[in-house]
Amino acid sequence: MRLLALFAVTLVASPGLAGPLPRVVGIPGKPAQDQCTACHQALDEPRLQQPALQAAQDIHHRQGITCAGCHGGDPTAEDPDVAMDPKKGFVGKIPPQKVPEVCGSCHSDAAFMLRYAPNIPTDQWAQYKTSRHGLALVKGDGRVATCASCHGAHGVLPAGDARSPVYPSRIVETCARCHGDVALMKQYGIAGTEIEEYKQSVHYQALTVKNDLSAPTCNDCHGSHGATPPGVSSVSNVCGTCHLTQREAFDLSPHKDAFAAMEQPACEACHSNHKVLQPQDQWIGVGEGQVCGNCHVAGDLGAQVAQALFQALAGTVERMERVHQRVEQLERRGMLMDEATVKLEEAHQALVLARNEVHTVNPQRVTAKTDEAQAVLAKAEKDAEAAEKELRFRHNGLKVSLVVILLAVVALGLKIREMEARS
Amino acid sequence: MDTGNKISRKGFINWLLGTSLGATVVAALYPVFRYVLPPEVAEAPTNRVLAGKLSELPPNSGKIFRFGAKPGILVRTQGGEVRAFSGICTHLNCTVQYRADFQHIWCACHNGHYDLQGKNIQGPPPRPLETYKVDIVGDDIYVTRGA
Amino acid sequence: MKLIEKLWQALDERYELQPLVDFAKQKAVPRHRHDWMYYFGGLTLFFFLIQVATGILLLLYYRPTAEAAFESVQFIMTRVPFGWLIRSIHSWSANLMIASAFIHMFTVYFAGAYVKPRELTWWTGVALLLLALGFGFSGYLLPWNELAFFATRVGTDMVSKVPFIGHWLLRVLRGGEDVTGATLTRFFGIHVAVLPMISTFLILLHLAFIQRQGMHEPQEEPKLPPRPFFPNFVLREFMVWLVGLALLAALAAFFPWELGKKADPFAPAPAGIKPEWYFLFMFETLKLLPAKVLGIEGEILGLAAFSVGGLFWFLAPLWDRKRVRGEKSLFALVVGWGVVLYIAAFTALSYLGVFQ
Repeated sequence: MRLLALFAVTLVASPGLAGPLPRVVGIPGKPAQDQCTACHQALDEPRLQQPALQAAQDIHHRQGITCAGCHGGDPTAEDPDVAMDPKKGFVGKIPPQKVPEVCGSCHSDAAFMLRYAPNIPTDQWAQYKTSRHGLALVKGDGRVATCASCHGAHGVLPAGDARSPVYPSRIVETCARCHGDVALMKQYGIAGTEIEEYKQSVHYQALTVKNDLSAPTCNDCHGSHGATPPGVSSVSNVCGTCHLTQREAFDLSPHKDAFAAMEQPACEACHSNHKVLQPQDQWIGVGEGQVCGNCHVAGDLGAQVAQALFQALAGTVERMERVHQRVEQLERRGMLMDEATVKLEEAHQALVLARNEVHTVNPQRVTAKTDEAQAVLAKAEKDAEAAEKELRFRHNGLKVSLVVILLAVVALGLKIREMEARS
Repeated sequence: MDTGNKISRKGFINWLLGTSLGATVVAALYPVFRYVLPPEVAEAPTNRVLAGKLSELPPNSGKIFRFGAKPGILVRTQGGEVRAFSGICTHLNCTVQYRADFQHIWCACHNGHYDLQGKNIQGPPPRPLETYKVDIVGDDIYVTRGA
Repeated sequence: MKLIEKLWQALDERYELQPLVDFAKQKAVPRHRHDWMYYFGGLTLFFFLIQVATGILLLLYYRPTAEAAFESVQFIMTRVPFGWLIRSIHSWSANLMIASAFIHMFTVYFAGAYVKPRELTWWTGVALLLLALGFGFSGYLLPWNELAFFATRVGTDMVSKVPFIGHWLLRVLRGGEDVTGATLTRFFGIHVAVLPMISTFLILLHLAFIQRQGMHEPQEEPKLPPRPFFPNFVLREFMVWLVGLALLAALAAFFPWELGKKADPFAPAPAGIKPEWYFLFMFETLKLLPAKVLGIEGEILGLAAFSVGGLFWFLAPLWDRKRVRGEKSLFALVVGWGVVLYIAAFTALSYLGVFQ
């Protein structure tokens, strides 16, 4: 089949040559013209009709690759017996085990792909062979995902097309077609709940609510074509590709070596793997529902450190909230609180950095940042005090003028009385 | 009551009336007088501010300025072009800064990177920084938002 | 002194001012046990003048667009020297003007001063009170804060209940289907151009009628020698004005008017949205009415009742025949006290939170 395709390419590539017209692969950028779709569109049986209908939007068909590119046969013949003659290379339905090979026959050929999409990689087949899917397929498991399971067989769209099943925001649902099936996954020793867990994560939130397409979905951690669970040792590497500051902080912590020695995945221990929730300061501690308690018990050094970390954060958060409300109230009362608002932002920033430092589990590093926040908050409190003083000053000023006006009222009253007494 | 007392009483009432009325008039007119004089900042600094001086912004440097309480960032590229963006990181609202060594905008909180078009290029920021309009009058750099 | 006399002579020579001075000297105001009520019309005028003055000052910095209105008021309050005072005085004086106008109206009513020949004075007066309410309603929106925005949305929504032309009226008032920047621009125009023009004209007319006919004297009061208008009455009125000014200073000192939060048209309405106190009795009544009364929508019925009641009140000079003949009218008295008690009770109960 590959030979067939290459033969056609050579023909197209040298238009000056006389010979048979390009049959299997047309001119790049021009929709394929073939007899297959013409006949199949008219068939009643959906199984045979649908592929022909879907061909219109298929990226391959639109780029001039006929049905015969994969299925073999003669796409120009009007007689079905001629067109689908096994002697002409017709293979009919492609079994799952053959799919990677068929797709790879073009997609792994860099010289061929250059003519169509110069910037897409050509190593998918190689990657696939290393994936859990690929390894199982080689062993004869026909149920594992092949190219067509994710990309579709007919009507394949480019990965960047929002309608494609491998578009970032749709990958979860695509993987869920198998990985959400608990019964099926059990047979492979997989829980099958990963999808549901992932959907509760901040990552899924970012992807679907904020429409942040760079937010990680299944393939960003597991790989796409080489899909495999990241090994224990590489979890922090994988998370660290985006969460660099936290990883740097973590590398400074005694946890780094401890987790490595225990052969435990580091980030996952506190943040989970699929169900990565919005971290809370309240997680820090050894009590019920607190993450440090997974390894530490009350009274040990870890518990003491956790206590110190939590107090540093909670104290700052509480003070920040108090100052924030005070500033907001003053603003509502019509005071200019821009300076205090700026300081609140600075305190917020220091708090964010303090939360990064939590990964070092070094109370000194965390309090260095929370102290910074507290210092700025103290300045903001000074601003609020000044504004309150100004309000009091206005209040007193008006009271003074009130006395002056009342005095004028009394004087006028006396004047009237005196005047009327005279007349 | 004798006449002298009466006169002094009348005098006192007149004095009191004159003084208190005078003070009332001053108390009423002084605020008006101050109010009518244009304040130090002639306009609410919400949509347009004097963000900095061109002479104080060498190429490959940046500067934080403010729209009221909200930070913005002025950036002068290697080529000398001046650009302005919102200074608020789109990830967790930290204030971004210009990193001369990276030659682009960077957020210290979670290592977010933005290019010189304000586009998020690395790290957690989900969106680009909002772009503002820059006008240079002589040495003054004015930044307008929502334009 | 010589100079002033010369100036006066020159002016008198040209404009014949002496008769005016003679008239002022002659002019007198009746005196009796309840003559305190004569000061409230003047006090209302004082607050109106304060409104004109502070209103013009606010116009120096205010900007009537949805994008800039709140910011400009914030600017006035935070950056303009004494801007907070001017704005606080404008807001409080508005409330005091309406309160004073209400007191003025009820004293006039109970004194029976509205009967022939003073029908037109009564009618212009009631019209002025309605204009004052219009000032309050249109001005309330201008700072474009959360409270103002939603109160205006609720308030203008009432208009849509008017049969047949309700929706049309709503669109005219709001400048569109909803309260938007278009409404703000409209209300601004009404507040600073339309209403002041009509009010000034009506105030001049109202004063001209009083000047022409003199003060009304309640017949049941024992007669005292009248008080000279100048200087006795004028000085007393001036004293009342000073008390009004003191009241403004006190309110601005103890209850500084707040800036609030900028309106967000798409945010859900905050709980407990209430109109200004002078609309409360109507607001609470309409809320109390059941959704359907005899197959008619409760609110429509309520608005119809207020319209009919208001018209009845307005037409008092026509139906109150007894007082024209100089007799006491028990009916008018009952109606008057009924209205006062109803308004006072509903306003008070609303503040006590009984209707929640």
